[in-house]
Amino acid sequence: MTTLLETRSMSRYFGGVQAIHELDLVVQSGVIHSVIGPNGAGKTTLFNVVSGILPPTSGDVLFDGTLISELAPHRIAAKGVTRTFQNLQLFSDMTVLENVMVGMHLNSKGGFFASAFKLPSVWKEEHRIRSVSMDILEFTGLEKYASTVAGSLPFGRQRVLEIARALGAEPRLLMLDEPAAGLNNRETSDLSELIGRIRDRDITILLVEHDMDLVMSISDLVTVIDQGRKIAEGDPDVVRNDKNVLKAYLGEE
Amino acid sequence: MKTLLWFRNPYMGFMLFSVLIMGLPLVITNQYHLGVLVIIAIHSIIVLGLDLLMGYTGQISLGHASFFGLGAYITGVLSAHWQWPPLAGLAVSLPVVAVIAWLIGMPTLKLHGHYLAMATLGFGIIVFIIFNELGPLTGGPSGLTGIEPMNIFGMTFDSDLEWYFLSMIFLLAVLLLSINVVRSRVGRALRAIHGSEVASGVLGVNIARYKVGIFVLSAMYAALAGWLYAHYITFISPSSFTFMFSVKLVTMVVIGSLGSLWGAIFGAALLTSMPEFLYVFHNYETLVFGSILIVVMIFMPMGLLRGIEDLIAWSWHAARRRLSSDGGEELS
Amino acid sequence: MVRPEYGTRTSNVTRQPFEHCLMSFEQQILQFVITGITVGSTYALIGIGFNIIYNATDIINFAQGEFVMLGGMLTIFGMHILRLPVPFAALLAVVLVALFGMLMYMLAIRPIKSPTPITLIIITIGASIAIRGASSLIWGKEPYRIPAFSGNEPIPFLGAVIQPQSLWIIGVVFTIVLILRQFFGRTLTGKAMVASAFQPRAARLVGIDTSYMVLLSFALSGAVGAVAGIVIAPISLVTYDMGVMLGLKGFCAAIVGGLGHPFGVIIGGISLGVLESLGAGIISSGYKDAIAFVILLLMLFLRPQGILGKGRGNRV
Repeated sequence: MTTLLETRSMSRYFGGVQAIHELDLVVQSGVIHSVIGPNGAGKTTLFNVVSGILPPTSGDVLFDGTLISELAPHRIAAKGVTRTFQNLQLFSDMTVLENVMVGMHLNSKGGFFASAFKLPSVWKEEHRIRSVSMDILEFTGLEKYASTVAGSLPFGRQRVLEIARALGAEPRLLMLDEPAAGLNNRETSDLSELIGRIRDRDITILLVEHDMDLVMSISDLVTVIDQGRKIAEGDPDVVRNDKNVLKAYLGEE
Repeated sequence: MKTLLWFRNPYMGFMLFSVLIMGLPLVITNQYHLGVLVIIAIHSIIVLGLDLLMGYTGQISLGHASFFGLGAYITGVLSAHWQWPPLAGLAVSLPVVAVIAWLIGMPTLKLHGHYLAMATLGFGIIVFIIFNELGPLTGGPSGLTGIEPMNIFGMTFDSDLEWYFLSMIFLLAVLLLSINVVRSRVGRALRAIHGSEVASGVLGVNIARYKVGIFVLSAMYAALAGWLYAHYITFISPSSFTFMFSVKLVTMVVIGSLGSLWGAIFGAALLTSMPEFLYVFHNYETLVFGSILIVVMIFMPMGLLRGIEDLIAWSWHAARRRLSSDGGEELS
Repeated sequence: MVRPEYGTRTSNVTRQPFEHCLMSFEQQILQFVITGITVGSTYALIGIGFNIIYNATDIINFAQGEFVMLGGMLTIFGMHILRLPVPFAALLAVVLVALFGMLMYMLAIRPIKSPTPITLIIITIGASIAIRGASSLIWGKEPYRIPAFSGNEPIPFLGAVIQPQSLWIIGVVFTIVLILRQFFGRTLTGKAMVASAFQPRAARLVGIDTSYMVLLSFALSGAVGAVAGIVIAPISLVTYDMGVMLGLKGFCAAIVGGLGHPFGVIIGGISLGVLESLGAGIISSGYKDAIAFVILLLMLFLRPQGILGKGRGNRV
């Protein structure tokens, strides 16, 4: 096990608001690492900084030893980090299959010139992208929706599609931002099983979630943050009973 | 950007369209009409590029007349002063315009907002002034004469009928190229950017590069059209490459619907032929164009053609609902 | 000679007085600078019109130049048709253009359901050419003239001369800047406008009618634009297409100074005017109009937020 993702004393302020304050987070490869905390704790901001959508105000973010703090999102993605979005950012006018094909963007070739003139290399590559994308749809159980427009999928399926699309990039680190939000019990347990299967493919998972049952059942490691600071970390059972965690969630006694 | 009507497979539509185009001269034999069709083809080439730009990146170029003009003047000057063959003129103008467009696009498309519109506006005016001022080279405001007629590997094109086929072949080629781009990985990346810029970024799409790429492509289309124009009319003057023409091009896109290739041709055809057939239109041109832009943008922000399609689709569904609730018989 | 299609009326502004042949080089430079400050103040005033609407709505109003044109045209209408003395005609024109600005907002902008940047740009451009087209039909294409406010006797100044109208222009522009500063900084309405531009939701929560504020911004922009058209009319004549170049250059002034920045636009406008005048006088007058746009492009490439704008890293 090696350190895959690391934030060193990373802070992100918005004017006077300290969304994240000097956070030291270490994610080892091969694990399912969850980050939990009350609303407004800074979890989505953490994802936004790591994926490059926002720069950190101070501190560093390292992926596999290299500094990624100031890189643009597409460069960070090229290093092997992808993410899903809490509020779903699907390409709603494109089909399910096309969404995953876009997910494969980093793993495929074909620029303006080759595409415009439909060179043979592009023919073959299109075929490969299509078939790998279908494999991913089968892996996530969406294959019968392949030609459906993404915007018309049932909500639970849309959440799975976000994940399927991120898998197209063959990431080393997959960051899931509240993937279970709005899902019913059965969908949540399907999700739990899917996450497990993803981990079995050697993809490290960083999970932000509010659903405690899900978090406790699948996580190898749990980090708790509150008001931008780490307040506890460890095994799910240890964290569950930590005094500081209870205080953060339930308020002062 | 998906047109409801017609073809699942755009290549089918392309084949049909090609047959239609090639067969049209059997029906239209009037030389003047053929000449108008040549200009329509030339304008359509520009509008196809501009349509891709506006439809897929949401950015607008207010200076595309200048790329059209650069394509015309580069080949025109080389031809009139140094008797370069037309193809050589094209071989120079395409890369030159591509580089210029890249230089404009790179810094401006990295930023969010209206920057490309402003930069192309400014650039268009600068180029127009240059066309007017570089008298010895460009002929100044009175224009450049003495451009050689089209000559490709010895084939000359003199009659309007020959020009009809030449210009239509180029239009079909550009259309085919555009269909290829739209249906490729590049097209998907562009549609993804349009769907959710932030998601496409974290999936590895280099957003700036694709936006710049489409902008450069659209500029090259315009330059190609300019090349055709110069060797067709064999006389060019700055008054054909004004800010007003850039606005007209945008109007053609708006009529045709943003992102729709067929719409681009439709918009170009409509707005090019209208002034030809309604002479009295000339005085009212600016007022009418302006009003079209306002009205269409308010009520049909995706463009006129798309707005009409949506209207048809809506009334079709409304009719179906009424029929099925009346008799209970399901229409398939 | 075939005249270029867009209006080049502003070239009259930098027409130098006869005396310049007899002036020393330094005096000629001073003359160019004086002319530049005059013209630049107008650009700044037009740019202020852009800023007011931009600050309130994030919209770039490409029809701003037409407000300038309408100011001049309606003043002439007041003078010749209504037989009003110039000051009253001018006042009437300013009020009418302010009303017109509001009308434009209500007819062309408010009805928009999905205001994406591209939609708004197209609509304001459409409005601009529609107004221009209507103007050419109503008033024709010939130039009209408004007499200079206090005569044409040039005033000697350090070896160069100042036209009295130049003093009017500079004076009016700075007066308006001061008035606007008071308005936005001290009056309740002005502060309400700033608030609703900055935080519309918060503004609504404290009872400010934000859509009324937007309407007001269009009225104010119209008025400011009209004033610019009226003060520059004695120098550069009034035609149906005078708004094109003036509007665009006012726009350059705003961008160069920093879009939305109240003082930036003044610096932007005056620098633009002076550079344009110097360039035309020293290098060549044919390229005069291009100077403003070259500066615009340089700004967009090197420092898109403008001279005084805050560092906008709004990267894709």
